[in-house]
Amino acid sequence: MTIKTTINKSLLAATIPLLLSSGSVLAKSGSHDMHKLYEENCASCHGSDHGGYLAPALNSETLKGRSPTALRSLIMTGSFETLMPPFFGRLSDTEIRGLVKHLQSTPKLANPAWNIKEMKKSLKIYVRDESKLPAKPDFKIDSMDDVIGVAARGKYGRGQGSEAVFINSKAHKVIGKVATDTAAHIIEFNPANERWAYVKTDTAEVYKVDLYTMQAVRSIKTGLNGPAIGISRDGKYLMVGSFVPHNAVILDADTLEPLKQFELEGIDPDGKMVSSDSGMIIGTPYADIFAIALENAGQVWIIDLKDGFPVTKIKNVGRHLHDAFLSHKGKKLMVASYDDSIVIAIDLETRKIIKKLPAGCVPHVGGGSVVKVDGRTLGFGTNFGTCDDNTVVSVWDLDTMELVKQVPVSGGTESPAAHANAPYVAVDIITKDRRARTIQLIDKKSLEVVKTLDVGGHAYFPEYSADGKYLYVSAGYTGDEVVVYDSKTLKKVASIQMESPAGIFSRGRVKYMTRGLSPDEME
Amino acid sequence: MKILAYTMAALLLSLSANSYAASAFAGKYKAAAVCSQCHGIRATSSEAPFPPLAGRDELYLEKALKQYRNKTRRSDVMNNIAAGLSDRDINNIAEYYSRLKP
Ligand code: HEC
Repeated sequence: MTIKTTINKSLLAATIPLLLSSGSVLAKSGSHDMHKLYEENCASCHGSDHGGYLAPALNSETLKGRSPTALRSLIMTGSFETLMPPFFGRLSDTEIRGLVKHLQSTPKLANPAWNIKEMKKSLKIYVRDESKLPAKPDFKIDSMDDVIGVAARGKYGRGQGSEAVFINSKAHKVIGKVATDTAAHIIEFNPANERWAYVKTDTAEVYKVDLYTMQAVRSIKTGLNGPAIGISRDGKYLMVGSFVPHNAVILDADTLEPLKQFELEGIDPDGKMVSSDSGMIIGTPYADIFAIALENAGQVWIIDLKDGFPVTKIKNVGRHLHDAFLSHKGKKLMVASYDDSIVIAIDLETRKIIKKLPAGCVPHVGGGSVVKVDGRTLGFGTNFGTCDDNTVVSVWDLDTMELVKQVPVSGGTESPAAHANAPYVAVDIITKDRRARTIQLIDKKSLEVVKTLDVGGHAYFPEYSADGKYLYVSAGYTGDEVVVYDSKTLKKVASIQMESPAGIFSRGRVKYMTRGLSPDEME
Repeated sequence: MKILAYTMAALLLSLSANSYAASAFAGKYKAAAVCSQCHGIRATSSEAPFPPLAGRDELYLEKALKQYRNKTRRSDVMNNIAAGLSDRDINNIAEYYSRLKP
């Protein structure tokens, strides 16, 4: 979901210039500090350092030569088929003009400081005495694994529409909602204690959520932007990483107190020392460790959860790493590398690269999928890019570490979903035209696309319910609903309204580690 | 100024090319591709300053769009958007939105 480099052009191409005369726009005060205005409206997506995050970088370099009138129109109307909302009526014409000027004259900012001291100061406690919370859920549910969490972004990525929405995935009913300041991005469940979940927002706040009472009990701001969050197998530690600034931190999962901060930098595969965004962070049922991908440094670090949190650095993994998934009881890690279109298999026991496998164009594996078919362990990886119009989902044999097939699909994809009890691997088509409304289903056995579902909105982040009976998909952007299908018949069975839904996370994932595996294989 | 008007018209034209029959489906597609950006489908964003369209009276919606088109109702944004809509587009969209449950 985090694509700093790949989407720059499409946003610009989607500009819909309107003829706007200045007189009639709402007359708000023009005296706002433009930087503050940027931070309050734009930075959660475009990056606090003006360097881009979910959305393109906005600075004097990237906007050089752009027509201020066209930029103004774009800000007013938003950019169709992207997450960019219309600011008409929310910002005055004077403010928009001021912002355009500000953006076109501000260079990308230096890495701002956000260290343990700032983090500690940002810790908020909403429930003082957690021991007084009820010992059982406030609601009826067969198993807490049936809880599905959806990151509802809200149209403006903040405000009333921004919340983590928790659903009973058997009944397709909302159980509760937890409001977040800015858009929720990732929801992680505590594997050791079913009552706790953690919500990470675009602006790097982490909320500790009590699922039994559906409320946030604590929060901490770990950085300025960045999606990465992982939890240790014992549920005691969280590790979170940022794009802005370039660091990561280990938190006590119970109190959210920061324990150790890591500066993300290293020598990239081309021999250059670089400061790096944090890519995925993952805990594993295999050991008491975290793995973190350093996007720009192309390294994967393994952090042991013991005194001093020592780091083992695996170098030369790939150019621009992003996300990853686990296989083989959590011993093997498959890491996607955007810029050289490979997926790298890492052995977490020996802490060495097993092999670099071919992927498609700009691999973005999302949470990945692993399925067992006919005695083979197959890994599924989505590919974001659309090089030469050749769009595929990559399938590897994770025992032999060979490419099995590049399955042709109708566009770029960013997240596969699978379940041991469901016949299809679902992938989201994200190519920015009508195809973005759809998801495609790949038959696990034939490895062919057998069906395309027109979900609506910008359909993405498919996820199966913990029992595998239902397929949940976000009709995102302006679709404003989560659509539920029967996983076998693919008939639509329910729709749940919310504003701009994005990532969907089943609590079942803590049982099967990677989607598609059966919990039995984890024994 | 001409270039801007042309871009807007081109967008709406490319959408029209796809709407083969006068149907709620054509209305649905245009609503999803253009109008929902501000008005949403079933509801506007709780944070957005735009009037909702779902479940509104069909004739009212038609009349409003025609007034925006002939500029008897003034709104810079809506005047520009309506300028590119044909009678058939207006019927389709009004029919689609009016039948939606908010
Ligand atoms: C860029 C944002 C934007 C887009 C896109 C947009 N609108 Fe609007 N719309 C507005 C605004 C702002 C108003 C209020 C204008 C006014 O003051 O009359 C409005 C008003 C309306 C109204 C009048 C509602 C009422 O309560 O009287 C209708 C009908 C309408 N729009 C239909 C549409 C349709 C149909 C589309 C798609 C073809 C569309 N709009 C696309 C911004 C937008």
